[in-house]
Amino acid sequence: MAGEALARDRERGEGLGTGAIIEARRLSKTYKVGRHEVKALREVDLSVAPGEFVAVMGASGSGKSTLMNIIGCLDSLTSGNYFLDGEDVSSIAGNRLAAIRNRKIGFVFQSFNLLPKLSAARNVELPMVYAGVPARRRAAAARTALGRVGLTDRGHHKPNELSGGQKQRVAIARALVNRPSILLADEPTGNLDSRSGEEIMGIFQSLHDEGATIVMVTHERDIALHAGRIVTFRDGRIVSDEKVAAPSRAAATGRAPDEFA
Amino acid sequence: MNLLESFISAATSLSGNKMRSVLTMLGIIIGISAVIMITSIGQGLQAAVNGQFSKMGAAGLEVSVKLGEHVTSKDLLTVADAALLETHPNAESVSPMLAMTGRARLQNPSETDSLYYVGCNGSFKDVYGLDMLEGRFLARQDLENNASVIVIDSNLAKRMFGQADPIGLTLHASFSFGNMDFTVVGTYKPTDLGSLFQMPTFAYIPVTTLQKAYGRSYLDSIYVNVKDRSAIERTAVELSKLLSMRHNNDGKYNVANMLKGMDSVNTVLGGVTTFVSLVAAISLFVGGIGVMNIMLVTVTERTHEIGIRKSLGATDGNIRFQFLVEAVILAAMGGLIGIVAGYCGGMALGGAINVQPSVSVTTVAFTVFISSMVGIVFGVYPASKAAKLDPIEALRHE
Repeated sequence: MAGEALARDRERGEGLGTGAIIEARRLSKTYKVGRHEVKALREVDLSVAPGEFVAVMGASGSGKSTLMNIIGCLDSLTSGNYFLDGEDVSSIAGNRLAAIRNRKIGFVFQSFNLLPKLSAARNVELPMVYAGVPARRRAAAARTALGRVGLTDRGHHKPNELSGGQKQRVAIARALVNRPSILLADEPTGNLDSRSGEEIMGIFQSLHDEGATIVMVTHERDIALHAGRIVTFRDGRIVSDEKVAAPSRAAATGRAPDEFA
Repeated sequence: MNLLESFISAATSLSGNKMRSVLTMLGIIIGISAVIMITSIGQGLQAAVNGQFSKMGAAGLEVSVKLGEHVTSKDLLTVADAALLETHPNAESVSPMLAMTGRARLQNPSETDSLYYVGCNGSFKDVYGLDMLEGRFLARQDLENNASVIVIDSNLAKRMFGQADPIGLTLHASFSFGNMDFTVVGTYKPTDLGSLFQMPTFAYIPVTTLQKAYGRSYLDSIYVNVKDRSAIERTAVELSKLLSMRHNNDGKYNVANMLKGMDSVNTVLGGVTTFVSLVAAISLFVGGIGVMNIMLVTVTERTHEIGIRKSLGATDGNIRFQFLVEAVILAAMGGLIGIVAGYCGGMALGGAINVQPSVSVTTVAFTVFISSMVGIVFGVYPASKAAKLDPIEALRHE
């Protein structure tokens, strides 16, 4: 589903003409902490093509989270330009930014960020609620998305009735449900045991195989190696940008692959 | 995000914190129930008073001799004066009135009850708006024959004769001038107001009988019901002139418009309602502050949720609306519970003081409107605060 949308976008090849989904030019972000200015990002150039699976690495404070916030349209930049799917979003603010988050970006957070009082299905429906999708279509799409992550029968469960890995799968279903241009994952395996982490990476890889564009922040090299490209940050700058020759495939978890289909 | 979604979300959140929601509503519940209770009693009372006054022929004049003037015996009102007033074209019914207190023996002969004996004629039933239950009211022959007949209220009849049919039985009366026996010819329905205002029990006897027994030829007053209510003031002046001409004096008669009495009762009740509304407004204000306070707490508690919703594409407007709906539900539910509680309170209080409380649809609609407005006014600030939260900060908040 996300894959189809992305394939369509790729064909369009509009915007800058580069065809990139993410195109950041001389991206800078400066925070004021009291009297001090903290330069979180220093003129970062980054381009992510459709269908890429990019891992962003770096120590804490290296600027990778700031980059994620800006890519995810949660934060504004101090200087530079950011094109998302061909659209210059550098100068967009407020409700239009909310609409872009809603339709073009799917977030997966380290701490899942599910609403505890809502069932898994209702959580997955939320982005569609804000997109104005009618209730019946929402329910159907939520079922499909939950099926995509192997949780067809868990829709009515509340988050506290699910395991960590299941919660993160619900979050992935929620991120996918509006068919976004990119999937942004911030330490998606950070709160999971290694087995559940592998499961999540398996889902990401299968989404990637279908053409989804994924940007994932992690500080674990093992996890980063599942991606096709690793970008490393230090002190607000990109210090390395390497292709992964042979990404590690997520280990089989005893789950039949078609369960994800 | 449509209204239904916001409503479901708000209801879920409020029912998740039942105790807190109820306590928050309490201020509004108390304010609204006080208003409903007092206005229902007030309106019930007003309806009873107006009903009583409108039964008094809808428009009545009471003619009496002015006090404090140099009144001589030739100025005093007589039965003949009543007959004269009856000739006025706007006079519907006219009754002379001479009243005095006395006592009446009850079923147990050693017990007596204080009674207000009203001497009048047959028209007085219409003048005073009496509802007959059994028998008849005074008739023309009763006055012509100075008959010893009496009409009493049904409560007195029970105390005096128990379950027996009172018609034809004898009432033993005692006055300052001696004892008299009367034959009961009718009973009437006691009014709500009588028991409410602790008015004495009235018993009606032919005015001529009382005059003869008492040895007096004059009256206390004459009651006149008018046909055309709009001409009542002019009629009052003309009646006064008629009497002055007959008695050959000037300006010694007072003609009081009894409808003015109704106006003054309404004024008092209106004043009470205004006062209660003021108290209620203060309590609603305090209740509203309670709503605002708890909404601010809610926004702080749910900062993380707000961050999540914003990251998923909720606009500031979506968030503001969600919390505003929650505040309005809180206030409006408080209002609804207040209406029910106030109505029950009104029924209980009304039962205790013998008034049928009345709650109008207008009052209910207005109350719901006001409490919703309280929710909006006091919900706007917390909701805007929620809407303005920075999504990154909010997501970091645990």
